[in-house]
Amino acid sequence: MKLTLHIWRQKNTNAKGHFETYIMDNVIEDMSFLEMLDVLNERLILEGKEPVAFDHDCREGICGACSLTINGIPHGPEKGTTTCQLHMRKFKDGDEIWIEPFRARAFPVIKDLIVDRSAFDRIIQAGGFISVNTGQAPEANSILVPKKNADTAMDAAQCIGCGACVAACPNGAAMLFVAAKVSHFAYLPQGQPERKLRVLKMVEQMQKDGFGNCSNYYECEAACPKQISVKFIALMNRDYLKASFSDEKSELIRNQLA
Amino acid sequence: MSLFGYLRSTILSKVVMAITGAVLVLYVIVHTAGNMLIFIGKDSLNSYSAFLHSLGPILWIIRAVLILSAILHIITSIKLKFENLAAKPSKYAVKNYLKAKLSSRTMIWTGIMILSFVVYHLLHFTFRTTNPQHYYPEFYQPHNAVSSIIIERFDVYRMVVLGFQNPLISIVYIVGVILVGFHLDHAIQSMFQTLGYNQKHYFPTIQKCSTTLAIIIVLCLVSIPISVLLGFIGGEI
Repeated sequence: MKLTLHIWRQKNTNAKGHFETYIMDNVIEDMSFLEMLDVLNERLILEGKEPVAFDHDCREGICGACSLTINGIPHGPEKGTTTCQLHMRKFKDGDEIWIEPFRARAFPVIKDLIVDRSAFDRIIQAGGFISVNTGQAPEANSILVPKKNADTAMDAAQCIGCGACVAACPNGAAMLFVAAKVSHFAYLPQGQPERKLRVLKMVEQMQKDGFGNCSNYYECEAACPKQISVKFIALMNRDYLKASFSDEKSELIRNQLA
Repeated sequence: MSLFGYLRSTILSKVVMAITGAVLVLYVIVHTAGNMLIFIGKDSLNSYSAFLHSLGPILWIIRAVLILSAILHIITSIKLKFENLAAKPSKYAVKNYLKAKLSSRTMIWTGIMILSFVVYHLLHFTFRTTNPQHYYPEFYQPHNAVSSIIIERFDVYRMVVLGFQNPLISIVYIVGVILVGFHLDHAIQSMFQTLGYNQKHYFPTIQKCSTTLAIIIVLCLVSIPISVLLGFIGGEI
């Protein structure tokens, strides 16, 4: 199969980027999207050119390292799939493919298709800890978790932090990511003691990192490789609103003033 | 914390958008229902108008709430829009939307157009500056009056009919109302999501109701200028 690739090339964060066009002959349909890029890079190296820089790690769809906006959709056209699990059989011979980095102010391009997603790490750090005993695993029945809540918490915990939600959002908002992280503790008894403080701090950090606001476009939910629902954003809004009128909020303001 | 302190928080800003939006939507629903009295007849519409004017201070409280809601809604939306534009400095060369409807992506633009339409609407029917020649008093004798008291009241019916008999004015209203419907298609369900009411079982229904309610409001309001233009109402003035 023959493909025309338009790939975003950018030397570094401050350089101006541009598209370069590459013709790929003999693309095998069993290749993953990243393997197709590997083949391109091998060719570029042989030609003495700079290979295309892109993020990847496990290539099993669970680590959240791979990115790419393919034909305007983060992780490409296949629903509920990361780029590494997208296969070339989803494309047709003669297709033109536009490959761009995840775009948002909070995700500056490092090189070519690699963006800096450390804003997500800062949000996670802002979330802080949960109060549990360390050491041996506790007896499983000492804290009871209703099955339904455990399932919902797991739905939220599926988030791999890839940033597709931010990339898909026309506002570059990180609401789905933060909502998933807030919600997976909100549904569990272990998450209750710090519940209010957690949502306040994570949302505050999200704003500091320059993400946009939510306009309820629901593009994030559609692009999410783990198909995390926007109902978690509703839950976060609810939690945030409750926390805004709590002792925890007053305490935060006091600490900031001190 | 000042009145506009909420603007510092992304979620509180959204909540203010939702609550002020809810106030305005409720008003639009009541306003639409009231306007439908024109189909019952001249007397119904004019008595309704006289009743509203007789409310006095209550009317001003309602107006104050509406004006405050509109101002907060506008200020907050502008702040959100500028932040959103800044958060996405570079656009994709190719962008495929998966779920975002045209109505959701054009909220700020339909909003600005609705604002200009509302300003015109107020100048036309409330302040009566654009077409002062359409303003007439009506001398009216109540049906069940014991004596032959004659009451002077404002002839809304005649003003509306004379206004809409001008095709240009009718077109402005039809376009304005369709824009309102387009805005509401996204707005009503969005309100529920922002305020945290999104559960798997009933949210799809809320989304359908949002669109249906928007369509009903548009059909009701558009039917008035069309009926006037076609001569279904207003023949007797």
